[in-house]
Amino acid sequence: MTESTIIAPASAPGRGGVSVVRISGPKARPIAQTLCGDLEEPWKLKKCTIRSKGGVDLDTGLVVFFKSPNSYTGEDVVELHCHGNPRLVDLIVAEGVSRGARVAEPGEFTKRAYLNNKIDLAQAEAVADLIAAQTEGAAMAAHNSLSGRFSSDINSCIDSLVASRVYVEASLDFPEEEIDEEGLAQAGLGIKEQLGFVKDTLASAERGALIREGFGVVIVGPPNAGKSTLLNALANKDLAITSNIAGTTRDSIGVELNLGGVVVEFTDTAGLRENPDNEIEEEGMKRTHASLEEANLVLCVYDITKQEEIEPINKDTITVLNKCDLLSEVPRCGEAEVCISAEKGLGLDNLVELILIKLGLGEETSLLSRRRHVVCLQECLDSLSEAVSLFEQGLGLELVAESLLSAQESLGKITRPVSSDDLLGEIFSEFCIGK
Amino acid sequence: MDKFEIVVIGGGHAGVEAAAAAARMGAHTCLITHSVERIGEMSCNPAIGGIGKSHLAKEVDALGGLMARAADKAGIHYRVLNSTKGQAVRATRVQTDRDLYRQAIQKLINEQRNLTVIESSVEDIIIEQEEVRSILTDKGEAIVADRLVLTTGTFLGGVMHTGLEQKPGGRVGDPSSIKLAERLRRLPLPVGRLKTGTPPRLHKDTIDWSKLSPQPGDLPTPLLSYVSSNQDRPKQVECFMTRTNKETHKIIRGSLDKSPMYSGIIEGAGPRYCPSIEDKVVRFSERDSHQIFAEPEGLNSDLIYPNGISTSLPKEAQEDLVRSIKGFEEAQIMRPGYAIEYDYFNPTGLKHSLETKCTKGLYFAGQINGTTGYEEAAAQGLIAGINATLSLYKKEPLILGRHEAYIGVLIDDLVSLGTKEPYRMFTSRAEYRLIMREDNADMRLTEKGVELGLVQEDLWEAYTNKKEAALRELTRLEKEKILPNTEAARRLEDETGEKLSTPKTLKELLKRPKVLYDHLPGKRKGIKRNAVDEIEASVKYAGYIERQKNDIQRLQKNENTKIPNSVDYENVVGLSNEVKQKLSEARPQSLARASRLPGVTPAAISLLMVHLKKERKRKAS
Repeated sequence: MTESTIIAPASAPGRGGVSVVRISGPKARPIAQTLCGDLEEPWKLKKCTIRSKGGVDLDTGLVVFFKSPNSYTGEDVVELHCHGNPRLVDLIVAEGVSRGARVAEPGEFTKRAYLNNKIDLAQAEAVADLIAAQTEGAAMAAHNSLSGRFSSDINSCIDSLVASRVYVEASLDFPEEEIDEEGLAQAGLGIKEQLGFVKDTLASAERGALIREGFGVVIVGPPNAGKSTLLNALANKDLAITSNIAGTTRDSIGVELNLGGVVVEFTDTAGLRENPDNEIEEEGMKRTHASLEEANLVLCVYDITKQEEIEPINKDTITVLNKCDLLSEVPRCGEAEVCISAEKGLGLDNLVELILIKLGLGEETSLLSRRRHVVCLQECLDSLSEAVSLFEQGLGLELVAESLLSAQESLGKITRPVSSDDLLGEIFSEFCIGK
Repeated sequence: MDKFEIVVIGGGHAGVEAAAAAARMGAHTCLITHSVERIGEMSCNPAIGGIGKSHLAKEVDALGGLMARAADKAGIHYRVLNSTKGQAVRATRVQTDRDLYRQAIQKLINEQRNLTVIESSVEDIIIEQEEVRSILTDKGEAIVADRLVLTTGTFLGGVMHTGLEQKPGGRVGDPSSIKLAERLRRLPLPVGRLKTGTPPRLHKDTIDWSKLSPQPGDLPTPLLSYVSSNQDRPKQVECFMTRTNKETHKIIRGSLDKSPMYSGIIEGAGPRYCPSIEDKVVRFSERDSHQIFAEPEGLNSDLIYPNGISTSLPKEAQEDLVRSIKGFEEAQIMRPGYAIEYDYFNPTGLKHSLETKCTKGLYFAGQINGTTGYEEAAAQGLIAGINATLSLYKKEPLILGRHEAYIGVLIDDLVSLGTKEPYRMFTSRAEYRLIMREDNADMRLTEKGVELGLVQEDLWEAYTNKKEAALRELTRLEKEKILPNTEAARRLEDETGEKLSTPKTLKELLKRPKVLYDHLPGKRKGIKRNAVDEIEASVKYAGYIERQKNDIQRLQKNENTKIPNSVDYENVVGLSNEVKQKLSEARPQSLARASRLPGVTPAAISLLMVHLKKERKRKAS
């Protein structure tokens, strides 16, 4: 038995200008040829008439043949562009099936691309993410990952680790062969460099995972500092509300906003003060602390006309000095400090800009990544830190080797995992049909 | 007509282990060799052990093997390589007296019950219905063999080269086995050619020793075998070092046209890790010097083995190159170096038991499988002997895992991947290096050996004593503490620089990298070095060992996922044709083994896994 040929609509269901049906597999070309005539020249769009088996003309459309291996899946692929009618699309798919294709499973085209080494796993994940992206920022970041930038970072890091391992392993296995000390020292430097690189990649992956999952910004401050007013002001500013109040608890209100192209969930919390009046307020403050745990960034809102302080927070923080319209002169702000008037809508642009900088969404291109990637990178970082520390103390070269191997394996899991579980099934089932 | 349960052909390092193991297990065994007096001969360098190799030698020892015992009876110079590194990569190497080694092996063979030695050349193997029946010798005798172990080394179709001259032979002074080679070439096994080489031997009185730098053996002198004691060793001597120089390299470059390797006469692949001096000079042209160890061949021998200048150049060139070396200016070559080409069978034709896939009852071990090195040969010989006997008793073969022994790594690599160049062991071939150490081969294997009837009384006694001592000491180290500001704490700080601020158990202290067992108070009197090594390693590596054990458990899942022989890889959806072909050829028995085949990607393994799951479901319903 050879590989089956699969068929599925590649465009969204429903009515529209054009719909695309994709066929992939060894019989893609013969099947398509019986549907819409000769396909001699690959990679060239050609006008065609789509005919049923009974010889009835179904539609006039365009067809393109991608010859293996230069296609999305790496197999022979044909794409049929017909008019955008769901009944017609169903008919064409059924015609394909009657000629020996079978309907593709969700994500099967991309799975084949992965299995045929056209893309690696991180790229396959990016395909799903690009399709699912809800904001322009997420879409662009997913595209960056899909184009292989994330994977090539990971792969070049693996290559350097292998290069360092060669020296370490050689000096373990050939103690009498005069492995030059210089080479080993170079390997040591190499490992250190990799450590820096993995740290950066981890930070970028953290950010990438947050672009996918959404950032959490928590607003805290003393009671009546104007926290809720700030939340409303942000929500009413020229920003789209992507989802309405979600998970409203008694005292914590979350609003998802599209901030500079990414999803940011702002959470308003109960005011913090030293001696709560009653149990309800105490419970509210407990929840505030719980929200803080999860936060990627904290806005500390103060009433600039009052002298109040709250306990320091061990998180990335922006100090927001509210109600500055009540002062005759706006004071100069320090770093990570911004003066606003939530009520009058003053200084909100500065605040948004500062928030984006603090979330790491400044100028540089972002890559989209997943929690899975972050976990692998963290594992790698731990092993690599261990390797560097052992190496620098001149202890146990065999343990350095051990740690380097673990580091390499952790990275490998991102692009080409040796999966003993159903990781692949899980990832490819996320796709809607037709990709 | 003679009849034996187990017949072993070959009296080298693989053959003697195979024969002795089968006999220890109670099989009626015969060892056939063309020269009884050369049983246990060290054909190449007079040393046993070294990185990765001492691990093998000790594993063979832990299963009652001969190699390490004989090495200690013949060892005249001992070193521990990597002694500044951790236990896992430390390796004992023993320079041996060739005569003493051979005598020790022959004594062990002669004393072995159930074992008969026959001097003959084997010319034919009778196979009926794909099963071994008997063998025929050059004297026309037939010997019935229920199981046959072939350990023919470099003798199959052996051709020796010195310069452009060549003559058939398996070793200087020994004929090669041409008829047997022809017979074996008719079996459906993948045959190939390999080459190896040996340096010229020098007369010790013609070397100016004052110009060489001495390299004394290590003190305290280690032992290779778990059962040996200090009284077993003969007198210890020094080894010496010198180096090649620019002049030497110039001579070699000028003679390459007369080198059988470089003029294209030799086709077999040579060992990358033990290259000839010609190879070194050509491949590492940026280096203008390579080291040479001048190793005595024996206490009473006049021969010196200059380790590092293996060569097959013509005699005259060998003379010139030797005399260009410091200390060798007047050296007299007693026997020129040569290269030898021989047949081997790519071990992908073998099962993990070392039985050939094509012929029931036929086992291969040693250089015939493409390995190089005495230790690699001994390890395979032992396993082939054990498995031939187990098969005779209708029992499951002994297959050691990659996490259990270097022997397991060796055989799995050979059988799964095959080899195109002489294969030698390295620690980097092992995934679980920290668990498989020199110091604990007995802890890993001896109990298994007892179950199989391989372990002699003296080994069992040494094993139980060590185990008991290590356990008792570990318990003590867990209990006893050093308190801050005591005499013991001050002494520890003086010796190791380690400060104590709170009370610490001795075990906690031993975890610190700079603290060794010897630094701790209350050392147990008479505790053996290998017990101390075991204690230190198990404490210092504890965290890593835990992690490796978790990995092993995960891997075991794949190891336990058996791939039925009936699997038709053509039916596995998504596999590339290349992978399908590889899997169909290798027919791995488990998912884990499939994953170690070169070119079989993780993605392919996932597909295979899905396929096996589906098949199981289909069969269940």
